[in-house]
Amino acid sequence: MKARLLLIPLAPLAVCAPAYAVTYLTVEQAQSLMFDGSVLTRDVRTLSAAQVQAIESDSGVKVMNPELNAWRDAAGGWFILDQVIGKHELINYAVALDAKGTVRQLEVLDYHESYGGEVHLPAWRRQFVGKQHGSTLQLNADIKNISGATLSCGHITDGVRRLLATYALVLAPAEH
Amino acid sequence: MKIRTKYSLATLMTLTAFSAAAALAADPATPDVEAREQQLERHVEELAKELQAVQAELQSLKAQGQAATAERQAPRAAEPVQSAAVAAPAPAPATSPFENLSLWGYGEVYYTHPTADSKLAEFDLARAVFGIGYRFDDRTLYNSEYEVEHAVTSASDVGEFEVEQFYVDRQLNDKVAVRAGLFLMPFGLLNEYHEPTNFYGVQRNFVETLIIPSTWREGGLGFHGETDFGLAWNAGVTSDQDLSKWNFAPEFPQYVTALDLEDNDVAPLQATHQELALAKGQHIAQYIALNYNGVPGLKVGASVFEGKLATVPAPPNAPVPDDQHLTLWEAHARWMPGNFDISALYAHGAISNLAAINASNPGSPNPIPSSFLGYYGQVAYTAFNRGGYRFAPFVRWEHYDMGASYEGVPGPVVPTGLVPISAAPGDYGYWPLGYDRVWTFGANYYLGPHVVLKADYQSFHVNSDFSRYDLGLGLNF
Repeated sequence: MKARLLLIPLAPLAVCAPAYAVTYLTVEQAQSLMFDGSVLTRDVRTLSAAQVQAIESDSGVKVMNPELNAWRDAAGGWFILDQVIGKHELINYAVALDAKGTVRQLEVLDYHESYGGEVHLPAWRRQFVGKQHGSTLQLNADIKNISGATLSCGHITDGVRRLLATYALVLAPAEH
Repeated sequence: MKIRTKYSLATLMTLTAFSAAAALAADPATPDVEAREQQLERHVEELAKELQAVQAELQSLKAQGQAATAERQAPRAAEPVQSAAVAAPAPAPATSPFENLSLWGYGEVYYTHPTADSKLAEFDLARAVFGIGYRFDDRTLYNSEYEVEHAVTSASDVGEFEVEQFYVDRQLNDKVAVRAGLFLMPFGLLNEYHEPTNFYGVQRNFVETLIIPSTWREGGLGFHGETDFGLAWNAGVTSDQDLSKWNFAPEFPQYVTALDLEDNDVAPLQATHQELALAKGQHIAQYIALNYNGVPGLKVGASVFEGKLATVPAPPNAPVPDDQHLTLWEAHARWMPGNFDISALYAHGAISNLAAINASNPGSPNPIPSSFLGYYGQVAYTAFNRGGYRFAPFVRWEHYDMGASYEGVPGPVVPTGLVPISAAPGDYGYWPLGYDRVWTFGANYYLGPHVVLKADYQSFHVNSDFSRYDLGLGLNF
């Protein structure tokens, strides 16, 4: 009898809980969500060795993949698709920048590990809104940690700092 | 490419000048100066045309080089798309089974030095753990962890080899996942996140070792998920504890140092755990855990575990009436405002219907407690955080009581004064008490997110001989 009583609260949670899923958004869903249906032009680049070195020096974060998956909208904003390691599996996430390179939005597209998936929570992701190249962007400083998801929080924070350096050193200069 | 082009042009001009002079000198039969000038002009014109042709060819080669560079560095594709309809690049299919394989690990090394007796100082490779995971498909994940404790495992050594986790996670739908196998219980702040980089202090706090028996795992089946507003839930059914493993009559104290206290499985749920090793399965326990993570930097949660225990065998003339139920519950909070990291936890366990069992073991120094509890508060402060290095001093106060109340007996019958504490001749000491209040002062120094150096001092109020200095190295990847 006690067993049945203890498990009763599980039922409404199982019914009401939305979106605990491996894939939260596809790329097209993220683009639609972040750019509201505006036209995006794909702008895929391979960073040169000099650019990789400059980005690593600026951000303090290693560039694991020189392929830059970016899209640009007519207003000068950027949609950048990126990957970081959570604890030991890759997290796909996307960052939307406005024409000045300021973070408008961050979306976690998928998460594959048993622990640390809290990085997809909106309140945590909103901490990145307004960040620019030169912002501190450091876990436990201007980005608060999630207890139990430290590595994923830290790696996404590092990833955004790397992308903002990429914008400042590669994407923005190419516009002028 | 640019350097090679410059050298080619210079060589060509030099050759042109020499060619003109040579042509002039090579025709001694020219009758007059005018004719020689005309001939020279023709030569110059021909050479100029050749030069132009070579220059054009060089320009063409140069343009081809620039185009190749641009192809590598500039946009390879400029495809205007509607963001709502753009085709997503599909993830590349796995080309090797190893792409779905995950490997990880963690471990920690201690040096502990009791202040009252330096002879009891010890070095220990406390644990070396390696993990293996495999993703069968997008919805099915297998994880396992294997642990070697105390460096060497054999019949004559103190070490153990353990399977710490062995489970399959299956995403049932967008709302619910199910986990089955041997898994960590979602209790407290530490049990599921017990890697050394995740906690302050050389060793885990006593409350989440003696009351919540970290690393606590059970075999069973559980469901879990998380809402968009940050409420994580976890509930399921599992194996439980076995009271028949209880030692009512230890000849010597089961621990004489703080390190022994953590290592020797003396606490109620440590002494009775089964860890899915031919675990008695006539009873099924259940658990629920809730955690709220909706505000960055804040975690608040609670959990409860309830189960009927495998009981102590009773002689025919002294049957044990009723069943023994274990109820363990805890509540915890962690808040990280600015550079501070503040956490607190309360845990309480109770075992019912123990009067007859304890009464049948009169005079025991170690009866089974009806209740046990502990709580702590901890404040850490990140004093330095730059270039991947982080230095965080902390202070923690905690209270644990492994026998807060008893049924059937007033409590443990503990020898007083100096008593033999081991079979070694002349090895005398005091029988320790199962409760204490402990201050811990220390610091974690992180060399990046994966490696931490630790130091602390722990002051015990009741078992004052347990006070100690500790040094530690931890890693996690």
